[in-house]
Amino acid sequence: MLCQKCNTNAASVHMQQFMNGQKVELHLCQDCAFKAESSDILFSLENIFKSLMDHVNPQYLPPGGAVNKQRPSSLPVKACSRCGMTFRKFKTGGGRLGCDACYKSFAVEVEVLLRTMQGSTRHEGKYPRRTGAGILSRRQVSDLRGKLKNAVELEDFEEAARLRDEIRALDKSTEVQP
Amino acid sequence: MNNTPWYQEPVTDEGEILSSRVRLARNIKKYPFRLKLTQQDAAAMVEEAAESVTPGGKYFRRVDIGNFSETEQKVFMEKHIVSPEFLGGNLPKGLLISDDQNISVMLNEEDHVRIQSVKPGDDLNRAFETASQIDDLIEERVEFAFDTEYGYLTACLTNTGTGLRASYMVHLPCLSRVGANISSHSFSNFGKFGVAIRGIYGEGTAPMGSIYQISNQNTLGKSESDIIAGLKSVTQNVISQERCERQKLLSANRRHLEDIVYRAYGILANCRLISASEAMNLLSDIRLGCISALSDMPRLQKQIYQIMMEIQPAHLQRTHGENLNEMQRDMIRADYLRGIFA
Repeated sequence: MLCQKCNTNAASVHMQQFMNGQKVELHLCQDCAFKAESSDILFSLENIFKSLMDHVNPQYLPPGGAVNKQRPSSLPVKACSRCGMTFRKFKTGGGRLGCDACYKSFAVEVEVLLRTMQGSTRHEGKYPRRTGAGILSRRQVSDLRGKLKNAVELEDFEEAARLRDEIRALDKSTEVQP
Repeated sequence: MNNTPWYQEPVTDEGEILSSRVRLARNIKKYPFRLKLTQQDAAAMVEEAAESVTPGGKYFRRVDIGNFSETEQKVFMEKHIVSPEFLGGNLPKGLLISDDQNISVMLNEEDHVRIQSVKPGDDLNRAFETASQIDDLIEERVEFAFDTEYGYLTACLTNTGTGLRASYMVHLPCLSRVGANISSHSFSNFGKFGVAIRGIYGEGTAPMGSIYQISNQNTLGKSESDIIAGLKSVTQNVISQERCERQKLLSANRRHLEDIVYRAYGILANCRLISASEAMNLLSDIRLGCISALSDMPRLQKQIYQIMMEIQPAHLQRTHGENLNEMQRDMIRADYLRGIFA
């Protein structure tokens, strides 16, 4: 798992706190964790959480409580385009989303929440058998494109050619899908 | 097909793991989640999903839970066929149960579709396979809310991804003896393994009879088989701690352990009034005797866990009348237990 602050080093310091009965975890590398002790990383992360969740564990409040308490009323009144759910209602009303489109409507907030609650934002499990075949190959293609870009940057043209062929084959098979 | 519910499988009161349970959460793409469902949409969703589970009425029995009395509904909960959450709320809901009661599908619980599969003993992989087959069966007819990055989209972000909650029901009499309060003490560091330990009926319920549920907390970022493997290894660890405590108890003071067990036997065989929680603890002590292979243990016709379920309030009320007060329940419970142990 990568450090949530710098996104480059492996996370080796793991912290937990409880918010709204939910466990929220922070995963940092040694460097960032060390810096966090003297600077404000915890507090800036805390601000992110705070804009999402109300109840912050007192130990995470900066000395003197200098950070403005963000009240629910100051949260963005963003509404889901499909079901009309607002992020404020999601936050204050039990943490249940209104529909699948809420995931897109509150994309930034959902991503941060998933990262902190689940420690990951990438599904590694099962795909729907009937409707998922196309999705699966689209994701494989996008993964392979990433690898292809890397291979080109590293001038590993043999690998790049292999990846290109793989992508072409997958692209073809997706086209056939209805 | 074997029509035996898991808790009636041949008596095996020797293992710590009572059952392996898997739950999959799914939502149907064309409907909003429960919070935003209208009565009409909810009814339509339940019909559509029910038809997809039982194409042509096969495989499952559809239970109209709304027509059951409150007590009968609670019996479903005490048997772990439905969740406590499923029984609340005013929207239309549906329940499908396999003939052996080991697979159930709740429609319009927190998510549109909750598939549950349970197997006796340590058998999570097969429990998952079964649930996954039902998942595929439903998906032949409906399209689930699914995202390339996030996987299956659920109402609560704690289920996003695989939608999988795998859990072991375990009996830990020695650890709960030494730890007094397992959930808040010895295992408070479980969180770092992505695993939670809870009371007998899951979230927010108190442990009774030293029975606990150990389940995965994270549903995203790992495959189903990795989640199950992780849970398995943590549970094995807990079980070896339990065995270690039991060995200590046996070698340091075997007479003390025997006393606990036979005293419980004595009370169960002679009581005239007994509360559910006292009975649960005594049954747990008897089971400890079975696990420790003490001699002269009573030969029981039922699994102790089955007895534990049958002395729960709603089970007693169903067989002996809805209007029992606490005292009457304690009386009936005592009579029932004497019938087994005396």
